[in-house]
Amino acid sequence: MNKTGKKSWIAYLYILPMIVLSFVLVYYCIIDTVVVSFTDWDGMTDVFHFVALKNYIKMFKDHVFWTSVVNNLIFFVGTVFIQALLGFVLAVLLKKKLPGSNVFKAIYFMPIAMATSIITAIFRIIMDPTNGALNQFLRAIHLNGFAVNWLGDPKIALVSVIIVNIFQWMGFSMITYYAGLMSLPDDVYEAAKIDGAGFWRTTFSVTLPMLKGTTNVLIILGIVGSLKTFDIVKLLTGGGPGRSTTVMNTYLYEKAFKDFNAGGAASIGVAILIIAMVMSFLQVKFGKED
Amino acid sequence: MGKKKRAKSKVFTYLVLIVCAAIWILPLVIALTKSFTINGFGNYAYVLSYKKISYFKVVFNSLFIGVTTAVVVTAITALAAFAFSKMKFPGSKIIYGMILACLAVPVAAVTSPLFATIKNLKLLDTHFGVILPLIAFNAPMMLLMIKNYFDTIPDELIESARIDGATTFCIWRKFMVPLSVPMIANVLVLTFIYSWNDYLVPLLVMRSEDNYTVTLAAQYFMSSTYQSPVDVARIYAVMILLALPSILVYLVSQKFLVSGITAGAVKG
Repeated sequence: MNKTGKKSWIAYLYILPMIVLSFVLVYYCIIDTVVVSFTDWDGMTDVFHFVALKNYIKMFKDHVFWTSVVNNLIFFVGTVFIQALLGFVLAVLLKKKLPGSNVFKAIYFMPIAMATSIITAIFRIIMDPTNGALNQFLRAIHLNGFAVNWLGDPKIALVSVIIVNIFQWMGFSMITYYAGLMSLPDDVYEAAKIDGAGFWRTTFSVTLPMLKGTTNVLIILGIVGSLKTFDIVKLLTGGGPGRSTTVMNTYLYEKAFKDFNAGGAASIGVAILIIAMVMSFLQVKFGKED
Repeated sequence: MGKKKRAKSKVFTYLVLIVCAAIWILPLVIALTKSFTINGFGNYAYVLSYKKISYFKVVFNSLFIGVTTAVVVTAITALAAFAFSKMKFPGSKIIYGMILACLAVPVAAVTSPLFATIKNLKLLDTHFGVILPLIAFNAPMMLLMIKNYFDTIPDELIESARIDGATTFCIWRKFMVPLSVPMIANVLVLTFIYSWNDYLVPLLVMRSEDNYTVTLAAQYFMSSTYQSPVDVARIYAVMILLALPSILVYLVSQKFLVSGITAGAVKG
């Protein structure tokens, strides 16, 4: 169509609304973030000075920044692998299509439809060290040692944040694996059966390797998700106690709107943008291979 | 032996599924039962008649933002996907690539410039101040999903319609869109849920309680009250009420949401 080139201007009409409403704003924000990262702008007034690489030098020397990077990494690893394993096992069990499977699927997936803002509120009350339902339950079954200060202990807070994140997003891994499982040909299972492989043997040495593409996509989306992590941390712990749960986005937000250091915030933004753009590329690439 | 083994594996399967389901539904069950403690339905009455933040206004705000964003994103991405999928024009690869490069860009990474832009457009504390960034940052992912779907529609179909004298827009309206209804529904539902659940953009833009979204209202109630047992019961009632609309949307549109998320991941 339109291969004559004569009418190619029509194509521009079709992409125009998307360019105006999405492309322009997104790229303006990206470019402005890069520009601001070389200034001392406070984010509010119109006054700013060019400071060259000062924000970046400060950022690389800032141990809180590195703490936030490490926390992002821990968050990513903790979330993705537990989530993928749990999601995979549940998908395999659901694929048996026993009566009631759809109800189970709906339950596992429901937190994704709920706002993080609401889920975190519920968990903050449940995880309250003295009055929370979680610790009341643990004390009732005489596991007092496990009744810890879930969100207030710097050693445990990040784990708690990861637990809540897994609660919200496990259904995503499950449904992705489930879709992958449905696309596998049946004769593979027949062959494994003839070879005398049991259920779990088949699952882990036949099914899982065949779903490598799905796993790759989940890992990339896990990195993307970790990069986007903001509200779950801000609302559960606010990045604390101390710096134990601070991630790049909450640190950036703090710099921008508490310290009024938009320049410093932008330098963190640029670091996130660079990783994000590499991830976008990988997401599209692995998605195609799958 | 075989039968016995199969029965055993069935029991095991249900055991795992039920234990996990219990864990996954428990927080909601706790919230629901505790929301009726001390004052019973009085907790709900308290929330519904709360003066400073009107429940119905809050739900309306989120609904308005969610629906507008979803409709606009679906419309602009379905139009653009047609051009990227079925037309040849100079710069198409570069522009598409540049849009895809933004797939993983989080709003949180660009907060100061975004805030300044919304301020300069005089959109602070307005619905459109929230809607505009939500459209901008949700559209790239949705474009990818619709474009991938359009790619599966054979070119011959369009070619023959063209020979029959159909205009480009006519082809879009009478072939592309009707043939892609499942994917368009996916994109509609997914964008709605993402916009409804967003916290950061309303946090940056909205100021007055009258303009609060569901996500801001949840945090308002969370931070404004001292958490005595009565407060906890009321907060749970708030959360149940605020979660209710999105749970209803989920139950109605579950099929589309699930397949939409899968399409985004597998083909994404």
